[in-house]
Amino acid sequence: MNAALSVGRAVRGVAAAVAFVLILAPILIVVVTAFSPTDYFQFPPPGLSLRWFVEFFRLDNMRNAFTLSLELARLSATIATVLGTMGALFLARRRGLMASLLQSLFLAPLVFPTIILGLALLLLYKTLGVPVFPGLLLAHCVIGMPYCFRTVLASVQALDPALEEAGQSLGAGPLDTLFLVTLPLIWQGVLSGWLFAFIVSFGELNTALFLSGPGLTTLPIEIFSYLQFQGSQLVIAAASTVQIALIVLMVAVIERIVGVGRIIRSR
Amino acid sequence: MKGVKNLWAWALLTPPLIVALVLFVIPLMYLFYISLHEASSSEIFGSTLTLENYTSILSDGFYLGIIRRTLATASAILGLCLLIGYPVAYFVALLPPRRRMIVLLLLLFPLMVSNVVRAYGWVAILGRRGVINTGLRDLGVIDVPLDLLYNVEAVVVGLMTILLPYMVISISNTLSAMDSRYEEAAQALGAGPVRTFLHVTLPLSAPGVASGMLLVFLLTLSAYVTITLLGGPRSKLLVSMVYDSVVGFQWPRAAALAFILLALALALTGVILGVLRPNRVQGTGR
Repeated sequence: MNAALSVGRAVRGVAAAVAFVLILAPILIVVVTAFSPTDYFQFPPPGLSLRWFVEFFRLDNMRNAFTLSLELARLSATIATVLGTMGALFLARRRGLMASLLQSLFLAPLVFPTIILGLALLLLYKTLGVPVFPGLLLAHCVIGMPYCFRTVLASVQALDPALEEAGQSLGAGPLDTLFLVTLPLIWQGVLSGWLFAFIVSFGELNTALFLSGPGLTTLPIEIFSYLQFQGSQLVIAAASTVQIALIVLMVAVIERIVGVGRIIRSR
Repeated sequence: MKGVKNLWAWALLTPPLIVALVLFVIPLMYLFYISLHEASSSEIFGSTLTLENYTSILSDGFYLGIIRRTLATASAILGLCLLIGYPVAYFVALLPPRRRMIVLLLLLFPLMVSNVVRAYGWVAILGRRGVINTGLRDLGVIDVPLDLLYNVEAVVVGLMTILLPYMVISISNTLSAMDSRYEEAAQALGAGPVRTFLHVTLPLSAPGVASGMLLVFLLTLSAYVTITLLGGPRSKLLVSMVYDSVVGFQWPRAAALAFILLALALALTGVILGVLRPNRVQGTGR
């Protein structure tokens, strides 16, 4: 009996150790490599240097990809947050078939194979003649929207409806209630939705793969094409590390504002 | 007053609904429409309606081989994720709350790093000049670097570790939300730890297992970048075929391949939900 329990404990401990090494080692190796002074990949690096970061910001295509990704993430997260919040406010207190259908529709891009969505948007854009930048921006909005919708929905549903009713019975119209009562109470959910959409957009691959155009390439796609066609130049490690650093910063902000526990539970 | 409220509700719903319809539903319907047309050399698709695209793919031994390889690879990834992910989830669920949060944060953070970065990490580990090959050479075990990259196994290992956190988070969420009195009751009735696990814990965690499996499976199907970087040109999966058709401007064929991929996703989703029946468990809590 006790033997079975301790075997169980050992299996769990070993599995956890193996899993964490397998999950985190590739990321750590990339970060360490980015500080290498050597021309080619060598691990562990013989010294430390910032030359690949200098190279990253010196190369036009890398720098442009980085600024494009930042711009796309910032704009698409903002639009996605506004749209997701509207959808969440509409659906938070509604029940029934129509409401659950709408909810599924708003959450669908979360599990839908994004490569198919990317292809579908590419062909629609080709038919309508949509330029590259707005096309990318709209695609990133669609992909970010479910994340905002979900976090805001959870925040609104956790809210006591009596608070909004009190506002309305005191004569506040829907807009006043929204800006004076609801939004001040759910701003944490709205902000973490925005941060989520930003992170998702910043790392997006599958739609950008089809929708990037000449001179307009996002950072993940630039890293991908470097890896495919230019071999293992260490500037990619620096580009990846810039990406990782930005995400660490975002996660720290999310943790400060809402606490990570809520995000994990809402998954 | 009622009128104002109605107007307000419509004002809230209309913008997100229009975006979801115009940028999600309509493009997919249009893609399906394209998949039903013949190819054209000057336009995106020709004028004749046909099922040719589907029948030619599904009767072509090459594509059937790719579909089989896709299913086999996805199953291997799913199996390994479940095998490693379940005990890890159990480990996480048993941690005290504060430490559990830190561990979950460590699992959540990699999911936010772009897959291309994580795949690059695996290239750095498995490549000819990578960590494993240089390590083994320095130890004197090998003279010639091993070809660890550009095969199906590299895709399985890479994607499995990239998607593993989804499985762990999903299962550990159900495990830590589970009422521990069920397990105590089983033990009070004389069941040993193994029996308690097999007859109580495992069935009750079905919803977490199901959602973890669905996420891993659906993300495997569309992981073009990871599959290309780790699998190379000889280990292509269905999603690579979609991409190759796009590069070759074969739009109707690309569209048909995308819908075959989607059909595969839906079929396997049905199988996973049918076998695990997560709804059954949620009902018993009341």
